[in-house]
Amino acid sequence: MNERPFWNPYLAGVVLGLVLLAAFVLAGNGLGASGAANRTAIAVAHAIAPKATEANPYFGEYVGPGKNPWKDWLVFEVLGVLIGGGLGAWLGGRARFTTRMGPRMTSRAKRLALAFLGGLIMGFAARLARGCTSGQALTGGSLLSLGSWVFMMAVFGGGYLLAPLLRRAWR
Amino acid sequence: MIFPLYPDVLGESSWMVLGTLLGIGFGLSLEGAGFGRAENLAAQFYGTDFRVLKVMFGAIVTAMVGMTVLSGIGWLDLSRVEVPPTFLWAQAVGGLLLGIGFIISGYCPGTAWVSTVSGHLDGLFTILGVLAGSLVFGMIYPWIEGLYVAGSMGVVRLPDLLGLPQAVVTAAVLAMAFGAFLFGEWVEKAMARRGNDSPPPADPRVRNRVFLGLGVAAVAGLGLMAVPPARTPVPAMPVAEAISPLDLATRLVEDPASMTVVDLRDPGTCRGARIPGALCAADDDPTWNALQNLPSNRTLVLYGDETPQALPDSLAGRPGPVLVLQGGYGAFAREILEEPRLSDSPGPEEIRLYRVRAALHGHFTGSQAAPTPVAVPRAVPATQPVVRKGGGC
Repeated sequence: MNERPFWNPYLAGVVLGLVLLAAFVLAGNGLGASGAANRTAIAVAHAIAPKATEANPYFGEYVGPGKNPWKDWLVFEVLGVLIGGGLGAWLGGRARFTTRMGPRMTSRAKRLALAFLGGLIMGFAARLARGCTSGQALTGGSLLSLGSWVFMMAVFGGGYLLAPLLRRAWR
Repeated sequence: MIFPLYPDVLGESSWMVLGTLLGIGFGLSLEGAGFGRAENLAAQFYGTDFRVLKVMFGAIVTAMVGMTVLSGIGWLDLSRVEVPPTFLWAQAVGGLLLGIGFIISGYCPGTAWVSTVSGHLDGLFTILGVLAGSLVFGMIYPWIEGLYVAGSMGVVRLPDLLGLPQAVVTAAVLAMAFGAFLFGEWVEKAMARRGNDSPPPADPRVRNRVFLGLGVAAVAGLGLMAVPPARTPVPAMPVAEAISPLDLATRLVEDPASMTVVDLRDPGTCRGARIPGALCAADDDPTWNALQNLPSNRTLVLYGDETPQALPDSLAGRPGPVLVLQGGYGAFAREILEEPRLSDSPGPEEIRLYRVRAALHGHFTGSQAAPTPVAVPRAVPATQPVVRKGGGC
């Protein structure tokens, strides 16, 4: 299938904003992406080492008698993201099994190691900040929350700070 | 109906279905924006394509303007939308780290999910990293708890911080976003010239229409400020009984710990002058939460301006007694806070009342110059002093 071009970024922003607005209006809640990852990780840890996971002061909030880490709005919302993202890629002819990398990146293993490392840092950062670019920047930003705007500026700051060092990976 | 709905309104399973549907919209937009591909996201940090800024800020301002307009016409109760609380340092450090992780992996957590379902192995590895990172956080949580709560400020919204109306802050942020978009396009063109490349495809007509739509909506939000907020019809006071100013004042002196007095007038008026010891609770969420947790043996006394105010919904089911002050603050001010006066030829009953009121007046206003004592006609038995001095607020 021929690949169809991506949407105009301004239009994509408006559509995404309307979805976010619908979430606020219908559910009183914004969107998130790292919360479901956190709950997945905790559920996996709980399956492997139930006692140790429940004893941990942070994980203990999510697992234990009468608690189900999967039973959360954010988990279903990310389930929707997986459906919607897959649907969009498939309908647009953009879905394929590959590894995305910059033109000068030659080693797939190196790219995957960087992807994992970046994910690791983000997973930690999203817990520390109580949300990621979705839960903090998008959601809190549109609600004009002070901390979310500080977070958003810091994300751009961190990205621009390190970008020169990673030029070989992307340019 | 005023939005938002809540799980208790909607039922748990429809709530989960709603979450899934909104997620589908979220996933479609992220994928359509091109965020399933790391190089599209990373380009933001090299100035060649400001897609991330345009989509993210575009979404933020769209939702923000939408909420401002919807709350302006009274369809959305902004106070019931969950706002992420501010933990300044935790969010600053977390944001910095997330930005660093973003440029290393080429994704943020949300876009990594989309990349994974687009078939990209690097998206999957990013997700695996995010899972691992969450676990690392939990494992070292006891040592970094201080940072996790550093800079805790509660819910702080920019309009409250700046003391400006929502619609004004919305318009200002939108203007900033327009500036950032145009700056981004300028940088894109400059970078393309430098690299002998072509800038990312752009359609100025689409951009201008989006700007126009958002701008008109923001101006409408400003215009709605002039419209008085539509008051939802207040239900008649259901269960609350009335208490007279004199009885209230007496009880406040005799047993102040048995009751909590709440001023329902707007906060400014309340802070200016209120019944001594009363809480200003209009539109003040923390106070309301505290009120709901009051022990049930404590009497709650509510008052407004002149007419009794309606009982707020949140207190309708309160287990303990709720009383409403007759005549509101006005009556209390006239009967207690103003100096009592006797007529020229007072009868015994009037004198008795006068003495009670004089004592209460002294107690509540702190006026040491109590009104001149009046000789009580012999025929009247000396009344017990109703008032126990001291120990008040």
